[in-house]
Parts: sequence; structure tokens; C-alpha cells
Amino acid sequence: MENDSIVSFKDVSIEYRLKRFTLKAVNHASLEIKRGKITALVGESGSGKTTLASSLINCISEPGRVSAGQVVFHDEGKDIIVNELSPKELRKFRWEKVSMVFQAAQSALNPVSMVREQFYETFDEHGLKMTKEEKEQRCVKLLNYVKLDPERVLNSYPHELSGGMKQRVMIAFALLLRPKVIILDEPTTALDVITQNYIFTLLKKINKDFGISMLLMTHDISVVARFADYVCVMYGGELMEYGSVYQVFDKRAHPYTEGLIQSTPNLIEDIKAMKPIPGMAPNLLDMPKGCVFSPRCPYATDLCRTKAPETTHCEVGFGKCYLYEGTSENGRK
Amino acid sequence: MKEKASKLNLWLKSLSLSLKDFFFRVGVLGKKLFSNYKTILGTSIILLYILVAIFGPLIFPYNQEINMVDKYLMNSWTHPFGTDWLGRDVFRQVIAGAGSVLEIAFFTAAFSVVFGTILGIVAGYLGGWVDKVIMSVANIFLSIPAFPVYLLLAAVIVISSPIQFALVISVFSWAGLCRAIRIQVMSLKERDFLQICLVMRMSKAHIIFKEIMPNVFSYIAINFVTALRNAIMASVGIMLVGLAAYDPTNWGAIINAARTKGLTNVNNIYILLYPLVAIVIFEVATLMVSNGLDETFNPRLKEM
Amino acid sequence: MNPETPLRGEKAIRKKQPSKGWLVVSRFFQKYSYFFAKIGVSLLTLTLTTILLFFLLRLIPGDILEIYALKLQNQQGISYERAYELAKQLLNFDPSENVFLAFFHYVGGLFRGQLGNSYLETNVSANSLIATRLPWTLFVSTVALIISFLLGTTIGCYAAEKRKGFLEKLTSGYVAISGSIPDYLMALLLVIVFAYTLNWFPAQGNYDSFSVEPGFNFPFFGSVIYYSFLPILAYALVQTGTWILQMRGSTIGVLGEDFILAARARGLSDRTIRRKYLRRNALLPLVTMFGVSFGNLFGGATLMESIFNYPGIGLEISSRIVNKDYMVVQGLIFFSAAMVILVNLIVDMIYPLIDPRVRKN
Repeated sequence: MENDSIVSFKDVSIEYRLKRFTLKAVNHASLEIKRGKITALVGESGSGKTTLASSLINCISEPGRVSAGQVVFHDEGKDIIVNELSPKELRKFRWEKVSMVFQAAQSALNPVSMVREQFYETFDEHGLKMTKEEKEQRCVKLLNYVKLDPERVLNSYPHELSGGMKQRVMIAFALLLRPKVIILDEPTTALDVITQNYIFTLLKKINKDFGISMLLMTHDISVVARFADYVCVMYGGELMEYGSVYQVFDKRAHPYTEGLIQSTPNLIEDIKAMKPIPGMAPNLLDMPKGCVFSPRCPYATDLCRTKAPETTHCEVGFGKCYLYEGTSENGRK
Repeated sequence: MKEKASKLNLWLKSLSLSLKDFFFRVGVLGKKLFSNYKTILGTSIILLYILVAIFGPLIFPYNQEINMVDKYLMNSWTHPFGTDWLGRDVFRQVIAGAGSVLEIAFFTAAFSVVFGTILGIVAGYLGGWVDKVIMSVANIFLSIPAFPVYLLLAAVIVISSPIQFALVISVFSWAGLCRAIRIQVMSLKERDFLQICLVMRMSKAHIIFKEIMPNVFSYIAINFVTALRNAIMASVGIMLVGLAAYDPTNWGAIINAARTKGLTNVNNIYILLYPLVAIVIFEVATLMVSNGLDETFNPRLKEM
Repeated sequence: MNPETPLRGEKAIRKKQPSKGWLVVSRFFQKYSYFFAKIGVSLLTLTLTTILLFFLLRLIPGDILEIYALKLQNQQGISYERAYELAKQLLNFDPSENVFLAFFHYVGGLFRGQLGNSYLETNVSANSLIATRLPWTLFVSTVALIISFLLGTTIGCYAAEKRKGFLEKLTSGYVAISGSIPDYLMALLLVIVFAYTLNWFPAQGNYDSFSVEPGFNFPFFGSVIYYSFLPILAYALVQTGTWILQMRGSTIGVLGEDFILAARARGLSDRTIRRKYLRRNALLPLVTMFGVSFGNLFGGATLMESIFNYPGIGLEISSRIVNKDYMVVQGLIFFSAAMVILVNLIVDMIYPLIDPRVRKN
């Protein structure tokens, strides 16, 4: 659509077709990822964020399929509809335009070959004819950028690296073919807080130096607050709210967003102010009628429980709740 | 005195409760086990064999008379499998042999499962030097090639009953189950709920029967079925060398006789096809049961 | 241990170093502790096996000596007492001797390479039998093992990828049936069909001893291959099923791993993924199994050789057992067991070379 989005999810629905039933993981999601910015996709486990993000490289775990809508990548000049690419085009698209840093970096590398071999392999598979020195140089440069010792890392097998090192290797790996977008699936969940901070600072640096747009998935609100530019809140396979970080966190228009922020420990307020959201994440096989969040929402009305609300768009974002209706630009009525 | 009476009362009560619980669990287990079509099909075939073994000889009695007139008859209604070189009906021989074969198989499976389970639980639970000793012994029986030793034993102990046969074969087959159960018990020992049991001071017997057994049951069940298969393969093999010829209607004996006689007269060879097919069908049935049980206990194997 | 590249704000913590000599020695044992443990276990198993075999033979009713003595008496026309003495010497078996002493003598003999002598024929010992017979057994078994391994792993890999479809059903069916037919019964079937009915292949023997002279000549090789066709086929048919099953299971396990998905996300082609990611990882557990299977070859395909009358170790063992030539048999079985243990040990030692995860730095 506009020039300042690099990815558009247009009314995307993703489902898993199993033998006895079909599981709807993502339900009519429409989202714009702004060029050059860090967009965070926030939600509980099972909210569908990984599924949605992996549809960007059409790498949804089997047997998931994009059942409706389009995932559009706005390249220079032309638009690429990702879920309609042929396998050959898809292979080229992956990693060259969009790369991904997986959640379990622990097992994202081939355990039986050296790191160097896997780096080289990616160059070769994408048809880049480079000499050995050129490949080596590029790898060394990238590894230096993420503050790793290239000599040591390139000669190691994956299991010889620690968790933090492996994650940095994956980030360097993601930068290998100079993509325009990097998807990060909970990149620091398994790491300690110090390393976490380090990784995010590194990511912020990458975003500033190379202008790479990022789609960050996490369930940690505090991380979002510090590092993201835009945030999108997802629940039960549906997008609940979207806007700039300042706006969403300040206004807390959507009840779920409010609940998420309330349940995070706060340095300033009293610990008693921390309130977890009651109830459990919805069973995707047995979705509640009406608004997905209604069973757990403190403001829910009968209308909420019977009819799902429409998405209300405004200039700076959108939200999916009846509370939005009759709103001005600022959000809540 | 009064204390003792009330203690006895308590004990009786807990016994009846655990019995009820036991039967309930057996019921649930039974339903679960037979939900898989492979298990059902395989078990029904095995049951069929058992029925044939028990009732077959009553319906189709086999008399060993030598009838030189009817040599080498082709299949017909009176002789569905033809006759052998002495004019005897092959069909009835096969039916008569079913019992023999099944006896050996079940005895072997029973022995190896009992030995393997007891030693496995003991090794796993007690650990230490007991464990090392048992494991070293099991290791021997897993390393030495089994078949030559079977032959040796069979030659030394002239086998004259299915139980002897079963004992010989189970000398090797208990080792595998023992190892598997030991590992399982050892990993169970680490898990929390056993620690809790110890803290609650439940008796060792209680721990073994109520807590450990259900978890190793899957291994035992599958291993029992596998032992049936191996028993038949081993026993037929031993008979093919001519070493356990106490029952000439046993399928292995029929095959052996047909083979040796077949060197001189080609017609004999075809006789061995019938017991052979019977053996193969039984093996396939046990394989199905084994796979079905495996799928029931490890649902990941089933396709979603 | 190599220190991790320090992050900003971290400092390397220095540990107190113990004395150098002790460090060197303990490092040596630690580094190879894996190997030492394996060797120790193997030696223990071997020892226990020897004990078991020895005492097993002793359980036999002791009329071997008598039979042998009678035979010698008839052969050489000597008195019974002298024959008995001779027999005791030849057989290395003195029933009046203390059992433990006898055991030591036996073990001493083992160390000197004496595995046992035949009492049926002079000049025949377990060693000579091994030398002449083992090559035939190994020839057939090894060729069959390699064929079935290569075929089985390839089919298994493909079967795992294509979960549904006709090929998969066919493969499952084949695996079920071939796993249910014992190898000797398969051999019998093949003999009936191909040798007796169709007359395409010979039913017995290892080469045509009437028309071909053994040696490095072409007709001999041709004859050998012709005669070994059915045995190898029988073996391969039965074993391929097992390999298909194992490889399929292993590949399915690997397919579920994260790094396969990550490799796809990187845009790697299916061929590369199959070759470098699937196969290499799925084959790892199978390599151990291959080694173990190879070790088991030494146990001899007792029945198969019996059916084909193929002069290998298995046939020797079974025929000599029936003929009560137990001393040789003891030696042969001991040899097989020792080989199995040895090969297992070698496989264990080699495994770290293949799987980088098991290597200790």
C-alpha cells in the first residue's frame, strides 16, 4: 500500500488441517510492518504470533497452510505475494529478502557439520559465486560485528557454543545475505537478563546501522517497551491492537493490553498493583463466541460475548474492541 | 490388642480398595489397549491359533498310520494339504502341531518376561554392585551369538518337553527386557513421585506393584509379544538342525523332515510350505500386535 | 576449557591451579576415560563368556573320552588304557583333574592360541576350521549386509519423507512380512522356487567343485558368485526390511527437529537438506547398528549355511554339535563371541569420530 510499509499482511488466515479437525491459528489478520522500524508482536503462548510471522517466509510448521488472504512484501518497485510464490522463487526469497532468527537457537544448526560449512552452504545455495576468501571475509566481518571470535566460532560445531554465543551466531547468520527484514522469534527467552540486554542492544544497532526492518515476537512486555518502535498485540489468533509503542503503552486502550501491562512487575509502583489476567489462554479448538478475549475481560458485556467486534482503524493504529467505538484519535472513549 | 485389631481392619480395607482400584485400572487398560485396529487384528489371529491348537485335534484327529497307498496326494477335500511320503495327512499334522508350537512360544515368553522383569527391577531399584553384577551377566547374553549356544544346549540337554525347550531359549531372551526395564526403573527412581512415596513410608512391595509396574507395563507387554516371535523362530531353527525331535508334528519338525526327505524326492519339498505359511502368518500377527501396542503406548508414532 | 569471548562488563575468573604432575595424569585418564571404560567392560564380558563356555562343556556327560578312547583303540590297535591316556592328552580333558586347575589350563591354552581340537578327525582344530571356513561365511554375510544396508537406508529415507501414498503402504507391507519370515525359511522358499522348481540357481555348495579349480582364475570367481547368489539374496531380502524400518524411524525423528525447519527457512534446496541434514543425522544411530550387525556375522549363519550346504563357520558349528565334537565347537563359539565383543568395542571407539557431539575436547 504505502511506501513506508515493507510488509503487508492482508486479511491473512492460517489453519492447521489435521486428520480429525481443523485448527484456526490465525484469523483474518491485517497488519502493516513499517520500513526501517522495529515492530513487536506481543502475545501469550499459543496466540498465533509465531504462525503469523513464519508465514512471511512461508515456513509454517506442517501441516499449516495460509487459507485466506495475502502476505505481501513490498520490494523496491514491485510487490511480492509470498504465499503464491513458486518453490524455486520461494527459495530465493527466503534469506535474501527476509531472514529469521529462531526461538530455539539451541537446535537451529545442523549438529554434524561445522558452523563455517553451514555459512558457506548458504552462499552456495543462493547461487552466489564467491571465492573462498570472499566468503570467509564476509563471515569474519559479520561475526566481528556481533562481537564473536570468528576463528573460534567458524571452526566449532554447534554444541560447542554457549547459548548466548549461538544466538549471536544466528543473528550474524541472518544478516548473511543482507535481507531487508529480519523476523525474531523470542530471541532471548532462554537467556539470562544480562545477555538479553546485550542481544537487544545489538539488534537495535543493526536496525540503526543497516536500516533493516524487524518483526520481533515476544511475550515480554518490558522488552517491547525498551526496544520496539511499534507494537501489535495478539490474542487467540486475532490482532487486538496496534500502534506506536508510546501510544499503546500510554493509553492502554485495549483491555488485554491493559491486563498485560498490569501483570508486569513495575519498578515504581507497589508490588500489590501487579495484577495477573485471570483465566487461561483460549483453547483454539473451542473458541468462545463473540470476542475472543471476552471470557477473561473485566469490561466484557453481553454484546462482547455474542458478537465479535470489528477492527476500528484510526490514524495511528487500530484496535479490536467495542470500547474503541466512538473514539477520537487518542483511543478510549 | 485393640491396636492390632484396628490395624488389621485398616489393612483389610486398604487391600479391598486397592483390589477395586486394580480391577478398574485393568478395565480402563483393556479398553485402551484394544482401541488400535492392529492390536485387535493381531490378537484375534493369535486367539484363533490358540483355539485351533486346543480344539483342532479334537475335530481333526491325527492318526499316525502309515498308508503307503496314498503317498504324495495332491490337495483335495479329504486332504486339504495333501499327504506326505508316508501317506499321512499333512493338514491334520499341521493342526496337531499347533499346540506344540504355541506351548513352546508361550512358555518361553513367560519365562523370559518373568526373569527379565524381576532382574531388571532388582537391578534398577537396588543399584550398586547388584546392578553391576546383573548387568554384566546380561551383557554376556547380549554379546554371544545366541544360536550356536542354543544348538549346543539342545544337544547336551536332550530336549523332550516344551518346558525344557522354553528354558533353553529363554536363556538368552531375558537379557534384552532386563536392560530396558532397568533403565526405566532407574529413570523412575529419579522422578519425584517415588521420593514422595518413600517419604510417606509406603512399603517396598507397594511401591513396586502400584507405582513402578504400570510404567514398565508397556515394555513388558511389547517384550512378551516379541518374545513369542523370537521363540518360534528359534525353536523352528533348532528343529531344522534335527536337535529337538520329540514331537514330529511340530511345524519345525515337519519342515525339517520335508527338507531332508526332499533331497531325495522333490515332491516332499512342497509339504513344508504349509507349516511355513502358518508360521509366517503367526509372526505377522505378533508383529501387528507389537506395533499396535507400541502405538498405543507412544502416541507420537501415530500420524495425527 | 576455552573461555567464552567476554561480554562487556564481564571479567574472567581465575581458578586455583593444582600441581602440574597430578594435572597431567588425571587429564590423561579423563580424556580417555570413555575408552578405558569401554575396554574394561569388553574384557569383563569376554572373561565371563570364557567361564560360561568352559563350565557349560563340563556339564556334558563325560563319555566323550570313552568314545574317543574306543575310537583310538580301534584305529591304532592299542590297549584301552593307553588309548584313554592318549585321548586325555589329545582332548586336553582330564575328568579326574580339579575343575579350577583345568580351567587355568584351558585359559593358558587360549592364550597360546589353542582353541580346541576335533576328536573326530586328527589334524583338525578350531583354528584350522576358522582359517578355511570363515572367509566363506564372511563373504556371503558381508556382501548381503552391505547390500541390504545401502538399499534399506535409501528406501527408508524416502519412505519417511513421503508419509502417504502407495509406495509407503508397499514398504510397510514388505517390512512386516520380511520381518516375520526367519532368514532360514526365506532361504528354504528361495531354494524351492529358484533351485528346485525353476532350476535357475544351484541349491547347494559354494562352487562347482567338479568343473572348476579353486584359485585366482575367472571361472572360479564366476562359479563362486553363481553359487552364492541365492544365499546372499535370502539374507538381503530379510535384512533390508530391518534397515528400512530403522532408517525410516530415525529419519522421522530427524524431520521433526528444529534445524530442518531452519534449513528450509534459509532457502536450502530439498536435495541439500536431504543429503546433508537428513541423511547424516539419521544415519548416526544406524552406524552403531551396522557395526553390531557386522559383529554378529561371526556368529555364523548357522541355519542358512545348513540349508544351502554352504561350507562356512555356521555349518561347521551345527554339524559338529550334532556329531558331538564338542571341543572344537567350544573353540568356535568362543571365537565368535570374542569377535562380536571385539567388533562392538571397535564400533564404540569409532563412534566419536562420526558424531561430533560425543567427542570430548
